[in-house]
Amino acid sequence: MARAALTDPVILAGRRAPSRVLFGPHETNLGQGRSISARHVAYYARRSAGGAGVLVTETASVHDSDWPYERAPLAQDCAAGWAAVAEACHDHGTLVLAGLGHTGAQGSTAFSQQALWAPSGVADAASREMPVVMEQEDISLLVAGFVRGARLAVDSGLGGVEIDAGVGALLRQFHSGLTNLREDAYGQDPLMLTAQILSAVRDEIGADVVLSLRLSCDELAPWAGVTPQMAVEQVRALAPLLDLLVVVQGGPFTASAYRPDAHAPAGHTIELCRQIRDALGGALPVVLQGGVVKAAMAQSALQEGVADLVEMTRALIADADLVAKVRAGAGGTVRPCVRCNQTCRVRDNRNPVVACIGDPRSGHESVDVDVEVATSHDWRGRRVLVVGAGPAGLECARVLATWGASVQVVDSADRAGGMLPVVAAGRQTFGDLSDWLVSECDRLGVRLTLGSLLHPDDIRAALSSGQSVVLATGSRAATPRYKTDPGAKVITAADLLDAASRGTLSEVVGAGSRVLVHDPVGGPVGVAVVELLARHGHRMSIVTQDQIVGTGLSLSGDLADANSRLQQAGVDRVLSCVLRAVTLQGGAVEQRWSAEQHLIPADLVVDAGHRLADSQLYDALVGADPSLRDDLVRAGDCVAPRTVHEAILEGRRAALTVLSRSPRSRSRSVVRLEVAR
Amino acid sequence: MSAGGKYRYLFSPLQIGPITVRNRVVFSAHLTNYAADGLPTEQHAAYLGARAKGGAGMIITEEHSTHPTDWPYEKLIHGFNAAVIPGYRRITDAVHAHDVPILAQLNHNGGQASSMFSRLPVWAPSPVPDPLFREVPKAVDHHEIREIVAGYGLVADHCAQGGFDGVELQCSHSSIVRGFLSPATNERTDQYGGSLAGRARILLEIIDVVREAIGPGRALGVRLCGDELIEGGTTIDEAVAVARLVEAHGKVDYINTSIGVATATLFMIEASMHVPAGYANYIPAALRAAVDLPVIGVGRFKDPLQADRALAAGVCDLVGVVRAQIADPDFVAKARAGQGSSIRTCLSCNQECVGRMGLNRWLGCIENPRTGRESITLPAPRRRGRRVVVVGGGPAGLQAATTAAARGHEVTLLEREPSTGGQVAVAASVPSRAEFLDIVRNLLSECRRTGVDVRTNLDADQDAIRALRPDVVIVATGARPARPWWAGDHARVVDVRDVLEGRVAPDGDVVVVDDLGFHQATSVAELLADRGASVEVMTPAMVVGQDLGITLDMEGWLMRAHAKKIVQSTDLVVMGAGAREDGDGLTLDLLHHPTGAQRTRSCDWVVVATHQQPVDELWRRLRDDPALEVHRIGDAVAPRRAHSAVIEGHRVAVTL
Repeated sequence: MARAALTDPVILAGRRAPSRVLFGPHETNLGQGRSISARHVAYYARRSAGGAGVLVTETASVHDSDWPYERAPLAQDCAAGWAAVAEACHDHGTLVLAGLGHTGAQGSTAFSQQALWAPSGVADAASREMPVVMEQEDISLLVAGFVRGARLAVDSGLGGVEIDAGVGALLRQFHSGLTNLREDAYGQDPLMLTAQILSAVRDEIGADVVLSLRLSCDELAPWAGVTPQMAVEQVRALAPLLDLLVVVQGGPFTASAYRPDAHAPAGHTIELCRQIRDALGGALPVVLQGGVVKAAMAQSALQEGVADLVEMTRALIADADLVAKVRAGAGGTVRPCVRCNQTCRVRDNRNPVVACIGDPRSGHESVDVDVEVATSHDWRGRRVLVVGAGPAGLECARVLATWGASVQVVDSADRAGGMLPVVAAGRQTFGDLSDWLVSECDRLGVRLTLGSLLHPDDIRAALSSGQSVVLATGSRAATPRYKTDPGAKVITAADLLDAASRGTLSEVVGAGSRVLVHDPVGGPVGVAVVELLARHGHRMSIVTQDQIVGTGLSLSGDLADANSRLQQAGVDRVLSCVLRAVTLQGGAVEQRWSAEQHLIPADLVVDAGHRLADSQLYDALVGADPSLRDDLVRAGDCVAPRTVHEAILEGRRAALTVLSRSPRSRSRSVVRLEVAR
Repeated sequence: MSAGGKYRYLFSPLQIGPITVRNRVVFSAHLTNYAADGLPTEQHAAYLGARAKGGAGMIITEEHSTHPTDWPYEKLIHGFNAAVIPGYRRITDAVHAHDVPILAQLNHNGGQASSMFSRLPVWAPSPVPDPLFREVPKAVDHHEIREIVAGYGLVADHCAQGGFDGVELQCSHSSIVRGFLSPATNERTDQYGGSLAGRARILLEIIDVVREAIGPGRALGVRLCGDELIEGGTTIDEAVAVARLVEAHGKVDYINTSIGVATATLFMIEASMHVPAGYANYIPAALRAAVDLPVIGVGRFKDPLQADRALAAGVCDLVGVVRAQIADPDFVAKARAGQGSSIRTCLSCNQECVGRMGLNRWLGCIENPRTGRESITLPAPRRRGRRVVVVGGGPAGLQAATTAAARGHEVTLLEREPSTGGQVAVAASVPSRAEFLDIVRNLLSECRRTGVDVRTNLDADQDAIRALRPDVVIVATGARPARPWWAGDHARVVDVRDVLEGRVAPDGDVVVVDDLGFHQATSVAELLADRGASVEVMTPAMVVGQDLGITLDMEGWLMRAHAKKIVQSTDLVVMGAGAREDGDGLTLDLLHHPTGAQRTRSCDWVVVATHQQPVDELWRRLRDDPALEVHRIGDAVAPRRAHSAVIEGHRVAVTL
């Protein structure tokens, strides 16, 4: 097979996909009830316009026995939504497939209040809910559900369907010795049900419609699960029924292996995909799925024969225009996905809407202003001073510069990026976002002044000279709520990571130290600090008031993995304890349920607790002249220290606020911030 | 003698400012997750209407948010949006149809929230992160305080337009007003902090604008937290002082009370059966002693007599009865009619009410399949008077039988054991879980009233069933323990049911293996520890009994486990069991799965809380009989928790 470029078209079942980039099916919580909503349509249309070759809509349940999360689409409710997606993507040529599936024992009974379907009476490891063993009648209903769903999708104008036999799929549960203990024909031939479904769907939709399969080819549980060797046999058997195969990894014990955060190396499934594609010998185009978020890696995967297409779902959440930019030779301007999973992985009881820390408008296409397009206003000559070169300040400056304003960013630090390069000492990929913001600001002509501390007089002078002023001055350390004995060593996580990012870690942590990390937050920072120091050979403890470390990591999917990594690294997890005092000997902690106190020996305590807003400049200005409140726009941590997502969101809003306060702006109505969903 | 016979105070009317209540039972504010897109729904109206119909003295709705910065959970009613008014009208019409007054609760949750839904900074008096949400809030400036206060006025006006008889200010367990009142969260140095007068300033400002908005013809209540149960938080003396301030300020018609902080000590707000009834009475008692305003007491009132006693003892003037009316909307009407024993008593199990709230799901009830579904009309029976035989007297069978009988069918229930209850009776044999047995008592008494022919000690085979000449057979034969693959035939590896049903009495050094993550392992662990055994609970999960958190039983379990010296071990998989060379004990081979480390553990007994197998042989024998309509429900389908059994029993009976 010829080695194609990422931006080259590909023909599937006689249908043309304009590029080799696939936007895969994923939970969005954008649904209206169980249907595909107008917000879905806007979300997909933006990726289609940006050059996605194949787009698979959020997997719809093919039978009402399956209701895995509240807004999970149900195929029978999706016809109108699918038709709207087809129409919205038509002009861009994207090949749109309907994701069809059933999650079986990996679903939920919370909404259907009916027993889960499964091949055998094996409870899912995560939910511990015992499913009902499917009878032949149920199997027939399932097959009919896939056929009906496919018919509906094709009748709605979509180019085909993708059948889910991936990490969270009932079909995978049939494939796997972990969950299929049946003694009937479906147990003797674990692939039989999938083959029946594919045949029946093909019979229904015909040869000129795309039939794709998302298949878990390694459950990472070799004692009974699907192994790559078994998957090779499976794909050879199924290839004649298919037009496309998406190779994925993971199973009931390794759900995070499907779309892991940056703790997994980028492209972690490349060897698996290569093995499967080699075994197929060109019989079927293969899609690489996993942690591929950079166009260069995707391109080389195509060049090296790993795959024929590459799924880049998260990359397209971060930058919907990735393909278009690459095609235009502007690949360097693509907003990077840092694989943080912080806001795009939304399988959570709270039903958060999909978003991106770098592009908060993702998932909010129909409610947030598109700041990437120039406004109708003439911004030439408008001057804006942004104080602070963290993500909030840089994003604000970038947006203002996109519109043509003359922007100066001033920061007292000697480097740009604020907390981003600091965080990158523990979570390297965050540096990509920092670099991108700086380089975009540079490309757009933003003037960046570092190492310069602005005083209230400077701000007053700027205001009186007609400049708009945005304050994005970040955060400062909080006063600890535990006692610290004189001479006891405590350092904030931010200071420690800052030192690490500058190569001066050894100046703050002596070799072979015993270090206790105080983590009342349970987010990514505490764990990152522990792992960083453990890698440097320090003896680590981490104290949390919770029963496990990193309770806030469930959204990103790293909760169980993080606790495993810490235990593998020999870290002492001091659980259900509150830090009361830091002494010369270490941390005095109190067990929450027994009130017993004990000492965790440590030479150094790292405080990974919450920080406070650095509002010194604002307070000084408004304290002296309350009327300045209306002239000063604030964004990010200096309002309240939160995550990168809020910083970037508020940086954008600050730009919009500056726009709305512009004396030249005649129309304030262009500025519409989302308040209600 | 007053209405309701034996109740001396419960049915005496009371004036609350401009409104009169017929009895002292208040259906007080609680979340339902019935809202959609920030608006109240038909389900709200149907749900509250059913409790009004059932005789509640007064209803107070769930909170209505007063400002866009307040959006802590998805299905919050956005009271600040005028689009709520038609929904308000639907609710108040549904309740007023039964001559019951209804108040709306107004709230801003302050720092007890996140920006996940609002995409706006969280507002609070000081930048003190909440223990649950852990997001640093923005300390509000004075202009923002004015905005907050104005928000209460706006929403009060919406409520007046929507037909409410008054409003209640949530200043208790999750509220920006609580945040200001509490020394734990108010670190301000301006006029809104410091002394109690400073910390209470915003409350009095809010009272002023709300009274202005609702006028004199509507009632205004303030709900105060009597004891936050957190470090440095509000305690009872301060709560009394706040109540006095509120009364002295005028404009307020009653005081409601609560205990705990929703995001720190929720397990004491919605206490489960492990917390003694009446545990919070000291709060309304202290407030009532200090003020003349009527005071509402709350805290696990599940019986009308218990409520009457609290009134008699002067604990409070009105009694907040929430979960008991979630379980039985006719709680008050039944008490008034002298049918108190027919009330479907709340178990305080917290599984489908409290438990579903934390998971962003609609409010239901473990023993009332209609709770949360009031707005959906049930279909009429396909045919009446069918002969229905139910096999199995666990919760599934009992529920199917009583629903079927209530819908006009002729129902016989066959139970193999000497008494009904199935595994619920077994689970409730642990002393601390005894109230769980109420579900069986309630269902059985309902079966008696609906005319189900309950036959125990009858092991129904096909012939026995056919002899009854049924039109329909409902198989609810439950589940049986499954032996873990590693257990072999070792006599000292036993199931939780073996212990609770008295077949074995493990002692000495006992390992309890928790595969289920709920009460099974922890309750048997406690039982054995109480009997003097040395107990270790181990689980392959990250936490022992992890679903106890959902029902607010985790904190109590952890405290009791420490007191009883029960060891908890996580991340462990049992890979094998062998006889110990010395004595009768055994040795377990364990794998610590995060690290791959292997070790052995010697012990005297192993008690296993693990998945069961359906008992479905009868169903398989009957299902192909063309003369019969056969259904299978509950654990016989798939062994799960009691609510699944009840739901399926009801659902199947409705389709007949």
